[in-house]
Amino acid sequence: MRLTRGEKWFNLLNYVLLSAASLTCLLPLVNIGAVSLSSNEAILSGKVFLLPVELNVQAYSILFKGTPVLNAFGNSLILTAVGTAVSMLLTFLAAYPLSRPDFYNRRFFTLAIVFTMIFSSGVIPQYLLVKSLGLINSYWAIWLPAAISAYNMLIMKNHFENLPVELEEAARIDGASELRFIGKIVLPLSIPMLATLSLFYGVAMWNNFMSVLIYINDANKLNLSVLVQQMVRSQSLAQDFALRPEDIAQSTPEGVKSAGVMVMIIPLLLVYPFIQKYFVKGAMIGAIKG
Amino acid sequence: MQHTALDKNSPLPLKGSRLSTKQIQKRRRFKKNIPWLIMFVPVVAYYIIFKYIPMGGNIIAFKNYNFTDGIWGSPWVGVDNFKLLFTDPLAFATIRNTFVIAFLSIVVNFPFPVLLALMFNEVRKQWFKKTAQTLLYLPHFLSWVIVGGLVITLFAQESGTVNHLLQQWTGETFPFLYKPASWLALFLASGVWKEAGFAAIIYLAALGNIDPSLYESAALDGAGKMRKIWHVTLPGIRPVVVLMLILGMGRVMDVGFDQVYNLQNPIVSNVSEVISTYIYRMGLQGGQFSLTAAMGLFEAVIALALILATNAVARRFGQGLW
Repeated sequence: MRLTRGEKWFNLLNYVLLSAASLTCLLPLVNIGAVSLSSNEAILSGKVFLLPVELNVQAYSILFKGTPVLNAFGNSLILTAVGTAVSMLLTFLAAYPLSRPDFYNRRFFTLAIVFTMIFSSGVIPQYLLVKSLGLINSYWAIWLPAAISAYNMLIMKNHFENLPVELEEAARIDGASELRFIGKIVLPLSIPMLATLSLFYGVAMWNNFMSVLIYINDANKLNLSVLVQQMVRSQSLAQDFALRPEDIAQSTPEGVKSAGVMVMIIPLLLVYPFIQKYFVKGAMIGAIKG
Repeated sequence: MQHTALDKNSPLPLKGSRLSTKQIQKRRRFKKNIPWLIMFVPVVAYYIIFKYIPMGGNIIAFKNYNFTDGIWGSPWVGVDNFKLLFTDPLAFATIRNTFVIAFLSIVVNFPFPVLLALMFNEVRKQWFKKTAQTLLYLPHFLSWVIVGGLVITLFAQESGTVNHLLQQWTGETFPFLYKPASWLALFLASGVWKEAGFAAIIYLAALGNIDPSLYESAALDGAGKMRKIWHVTLPGIRPVVVLMLILGMGRVMDVGFDQVYNLQNPIVSNVSEVISTYIYRMGLQGGQFSLTAAMGLFEAVIALALILATNAVARRFGQGLW
């Protein structure tokens, strides 16, 4: 098919605009990476744009030696791993019974859960509850209150409802118990959906900021989000993080702050190629359901 | 299917009386329900403890809460806290800011995903489409701490890259983060930057469902590219566009804490303080639990009303959520 001249211009413009939009997403990340790897003088004189100037890893060595970033990294990993497991377990416990047509009061229970989606209970009562349960400074304060996302639960429930009824009948005729049926048939048939939802929960946990900020006061228990936020906002890194004088002399705050942001971005960039397609699939499910 | 049909008609077990078949079915249903009920107990406990008890905890909005008396012992004050919300200048400004920022976010954020989806849809080179999508979806996965960190370091007046470039070209720097208008612009732009690409997925899905024969017949009728987009593509995704717009309106009160908290600074607080940050600062940090609980309840009730109202509108378009 031959294109008219107008269509050629249209295509060219389309490619140019999309390239520009894509670069807008990429360049800030490249820039902050370059800043984190550049020398103090280069950063201060504004020479750093997309490539590191006078390449060095000083900012990173200060970051890892002088600040508790490694500890926070470990905390983020624990928060993400356990949080995802707790969330997936509870979400399954809610979604599976609700997906069974014979389950008692399933309509009432589903409505009661959907209601929590559209009417939030509020931060203050949540905080007072967590406090009265004695969970301040405990990671359970992060894992439990947000354990079930009603949205994810509905996706899972919908998936189970769409499994062929014949499977269950066949399993029952064969005398399989509920547990066996779930373990041998339901879960193996749901692996892509389970992976998608685990990633939804996992990324949300990795990026969790507000509940750690609210519920965790112990500096040793902070996750990367809160620590990096404190660093970015710090007027004086040296004071706030008790850096050694000889380290401060070698670095600009901008370099260290950029390095802190990079430490948060890099793990996401590493897993991004693998998780992107699951997320796109998940967003599509949402689109079809919505 | 055969299996259940057999049970219903079988006269053998209790000599076929209607009641007893029902009883058998009841008993069978109960037996099936036992494992499900056991599974569901923790879920019920979870929702009661972590969702419905805090909902009840909102009664402190009508009390003067203090730690020593607790939720039950603190004295009732009626709607005094709510009156204060609308008479106290700071609280009132906070409510106003929330509406303004949320409304602007919806208006500004809305067209970009639709545009991106239309543009993606016209790309024929698969490698280009894949690469562009990968890059444009990426910011969705970054937390507001990262995006806030990027914005603050890039636009900082002395050390930010943007101001370095600006100085080279114009000889002057600009305090982007410290002027209300430019702060608001950065706030809105960062929202578009983070979510526009990923939000396009929904429209792309809708575009994929358009019948290709419509394009062919449009081409036969001599329609050019723009006419095809106008007469085939846009009508094809209209239901989704309407739905997303309505859903967006239902979230008018929903200004995320993370986004504001990670971008705001004290100098622009007269435009940047919103309900969620107010609750954090005045309630959790300042100890004014009753006042901020009232603020939270006010927000939740308005949000609920908006969702119910927008759903009613959506139903008129045949797009209701329930």
